[in-house]
Amino acid sequence: MIGRISRTTAALVVFVLSVFPVYWMVLTAFKPTKDIQSATPTFLPVPITFDHFGTAIAAKGFFSFWRNSLLVAGGAVLLALLVALLAAFAIARLQWKGRRAFVLMVFVAQMTPWEALLIPIYVIARDTGMLDTLWILTLVYFMMTLPFTIVTLRGFLAAIPADLEEAALVDGCTREQAFRKIVFPLLAPGLLATSLFGFITAWNEFAFANVLIIKDQDDRTLPVWLSSFNNTFGTDWGATMAASTLFMLPVLLIFIVLQGRVTTGIVGGAVKG
Amino acid sequence: MTLLAERPVQETAPAPPKRRKRPVLPYLLIAPTLLTTAYLLVYPLVRNVIISLQEFGLPQLVRGDAKFVGLANYVKVLSDPEFWAVVRRTLWFTAINVVLIMVLSTLVALLLVRLGKWLRFLVMGGLVLTWATPIIAATTVFQWLFQSRLGVVNWALVALGFEEYRDYTWFADGEATFGILVTLIVWQSIPFAALSLYAAMITVPQELYEAARMDGAGAWRVFSTITFPMLRAMFGLITCLEVIWVVKAFVQIWVISQGGPGQATTTLPVYAFQVAQSLQRYDLGAAVSMLMVLLLVLALLAYFRQLYRQEREA
Amino acid sequence: MSRSAALLVLALTLSACGSSAGGSEKQEITVWLMKDTATEEFVSKFESEFERDHANLDLKIQIQEWNGITQKVTSALASTDPPDVIEVGNTQVAQYVASKGVTDLSSRKAELQGDDWIPGLSEPGAVDGKQFGIPFYAANRVVIYRTDLFEAAQVTPPKTREEWLAATAKLDQGDQQGIYLPGQNWYTLSGFVWDEGGDLAKQDGDRWKGSLNTPEALAGMDFYRQLQALGDGPKDSDEAKPQQTDVVAGGKVAQFIAVPGAAKLVTKANPALEGKIGFFPIPGKTADKPGAVFTGGSDLIVPLASSRQDGAYEVVKALAGEKWQVELAKAMNYVPNRKSLASSVAGDPGTAAMAAGAANGFATPNSPNWAAVEARNPIKEFQTAVLTGADPRTAAAKADEVITQALNSGK
Repeated sequence: MIGRISRTTAALVVFVLSVFPVYWMVLTAFKPTKDIQSATPTFLPVPITFDHFGTAIAAKGFFSFWRNSLLVAGGAVLLALLVALLAAFAIARLQWKGRRAFVLMVFVAQMTPWEALLIPIYVIARDTGMLDTLWILTLVYFMMTLPFTIVTLRGFLAAIPADLEEAALVDGCTREQAFRKIVFPLLAPGLLATSLFGFITAWNEFAFANVLIIKDQDDRTLPVWLSSFNNTFGTDWGATMAASTLFMLPVLLIFIVLQGRVTTGIVGGAVKG
Repeated sequence: MTLLAERPVQETAPAPPKRRKRPVLPYLLIAPTLLTTAYLLVYPLVRNVIISLQEFGLPQLVRGDAKFVGLANYVKVLSDPEFWAVVRRTLWFTAINVVLIMVLSTLVALLLVRLGKWLRFLVMGGLVLTWATPIIAATTVFQWLFQSRLGVVNWALVALGFEEYRDYTWFADGEATFGILVTLIVWQSIPFAALSLYAAMITVPQELYEAARMDGAGAWRVFSTITFPMLRAMFGLITCLEVIWVVKAFVQIWVISQGGPGQATTTLPVYAFQVAQSLQRYDLGAAVSMLMVLLLVLALLAYFRQLYRQEREA
Repeated sequence: MSRSAALLVLALTLSACGSSAGGSEKQEITVWLMKDTATEEFVSKFESEFERDHANLDLKIQIQEWNGITQKVTSALASTDPPDVIEVGNTQVAQYVASKGVTDLSSRKAELQGDDWIPGLSEPGAVDGKQFGIPFYAANRVVIYRTDLFEAAQVTPPKTREEWLAATAKLDQGDQQGIYLPGQNWYTLSGFVWDEGGDLAKQDGDRWKGSLNTPEALAGMDFYRQLQALGDGPKDSDEAKPQQTDVVAGGKVAQFIAVPGAAKLVTKANPALEGKIGFFPIPGKTADKPGAVFTGGSDLIVPLASSRQDGAYEVVKALAGEKWQVELAKAMNYVPNRKSLASSVAGDPGTAAMAAGAANGFATPNSPNWAAVEARNPIKEFQTAVLTGADPRTAAAKADEVITQALNSGK
């Protein structure tokens, strides 16, 4: 009985602590500007206003920001899944010389200090005429997410018993057929889950988007929009918070759809080794 | 997408390759990864190394013709006592964050395992919400919660009877700012770690726990003799990932304190950015970042060695 | 190296297309203005009239965000096809000029009546006697006050520092704040330091040295501390966090320090304050001279890599010329870029207070590295340290060290 009460209390404490900052953000988005900075905080949006959402949506180029972010994040994630799937299959299912070195390389690649590569990548993009295109952003985000995608996908693959595939091979399937007919359907949820991490990374990225998209304003992405409510006098908090709320919605939706699957791949990867 | 994914496989699988002595298939499968990594990661890194060996500031970026200066930039960075202070601070910052993240995440995961359906759904929902919040937005909100005059944290502390927190200036004090940054990063990192650990914990067969409990083992004993050993690899992986992510944490620190007050919250990535972007000494920034990678590799060397050994056994 | 090769390739491709030079096709000129530099009406009016007067040019004005602007302008200057005209802050123009990627416009100075420019804008734009940045507009801080609260407390706008402190103390009653002055408003502090005859940094030959740990600067800081205590401004934050106009709109605040344009944001957030806002110049040490102020503002630069130099200059000429200067100054409460134009905007009370103060305007130390000081801003930390009870000398010495190091880096 006491155990149950303390568990419930602990659960509620964890819930409140994790949700409060998010709640505060959403709440602010609904408060009138002059109530946002007040000496006694209010915890309910009374009176409520939708003005900030109006301001956020009315920002110039709102829809092109969304389209570009979706294109870039989606493109990067698809590309990463594609390339990672092949590699993950090779490490999870096949024995070959150099496999350990490859796994190690993937891990080391995670440590890339991306902020530091801003200048070299800028220079490379400039010299190859890729500045001001969504392509270069897609490629950079692809590379940012690739190592983690390989690690996670490998985990998902490892969790699917190899016996299934071998049985198919014995039945006369080629390896490619075995993969397509047996493994892939089982892997599909894992692919979706893996895409989430990459999506968040690409969705949030500001530094590269700021420097690589220069003159072509129609190619700007959402994080740039998020910072557009700073004016000479400070920040329009209400609009920023409304924009942040809208900004997190797609990620939240994907999360809800995928639920717990996201983490299974990492578990598989670590447990199976 | 499916079609594209299989094309390379199709081309290389005219006959079942399973009996071949030196199969080409694995190498073809990793070829795209190797090629893209070579161009998008290794090549920029090499360029970064080259920059770190040159005199490379804004004029060189704009007009080209940078001169090689050998190891001068590294000498300059390594002989600067500030750099070493930053390294020490980064180690502390990482250690505190990672320990807190791992301990708290383990506790939350253990709690999740023991909760009923509805409460578990509630807590997981909260964690997912936290995870989905954009870093910039979360950082802004934290900064705001800790404002001295109109911040909710001070208001709540005063309401709870801690009068000394009326108008307490969190961001004036190096340690307080450091503490807020740790809170923020831990808060942002727990969902991933806790949910992963939870997912791993439910793979441990229940019978093991039951047997242990019948032997009269307490909660700590069960954890230290069953859960932890079973999930050792998992704890290793998550710790490794968190170390990498915490060391690289930049946006949070830059937005909240820009490394201040003083240099109280300047960690390596912040330092590299200050040097590279504010002073526009891209050469020194490149040197700092290469040293950072080196340190990270050194710090995780033990884990990598274990990983390497583990792969052989597989 | 490969950079020039890339330029060459680009030039070849462009001429192959035949779209850029000559021909009857319109040349596209891209201009970067900062957010809140001008109203939307001003931008669209300028765009349409400029295109009417220059039939061969197609003007594209893009509004840039403040966030990450240094990186953005840097990457623009280094790119092969940059925007043609960029607005840059007058404290930052020197660092861009140092990149050698900015066009020297000295030969145009006479045509633009450069002798009449206000020094706070033209001096930062000039390096080694050559003019790279063309003055665009200026603004300086004034005291914005609530006329109703002043009347209720029976005080009138002060003329000297003593009067100011006395009046503010009288206004600082109960839940009403005498003045809302955040601890890290370092532009305001700079003014007080200049009033005392001090400066933020001093140049000695080729080297710079932070000069906050001097009797003059410390006296300025001491006055700041006295004034700051007469209200509830946060000691560890600046005027942007929280945005001070929102604070003033939401609470009972008798005065705050900002450029006159900020008044509009207050009344926008709280329309009940319409008609209750007044302005006066920051009081000086004596009644005959207003307090020193930081001259903020912008210059226009043309990237050297732009292949449309003539078109770019046409835009600069128009924006820096009398017609649009007066229009912009009126729309935004600015000080125009030429001294002789000041009278044309004298009607507005906010601008009048600003113009009075502008007579005693100062600039930050003219070094390409000054932007690096601002990026880390030791002055703000000095302010917070003093306001939270640290020893002023120690804090100032610490800040000086950072300033000295940043200003001399690369030498």
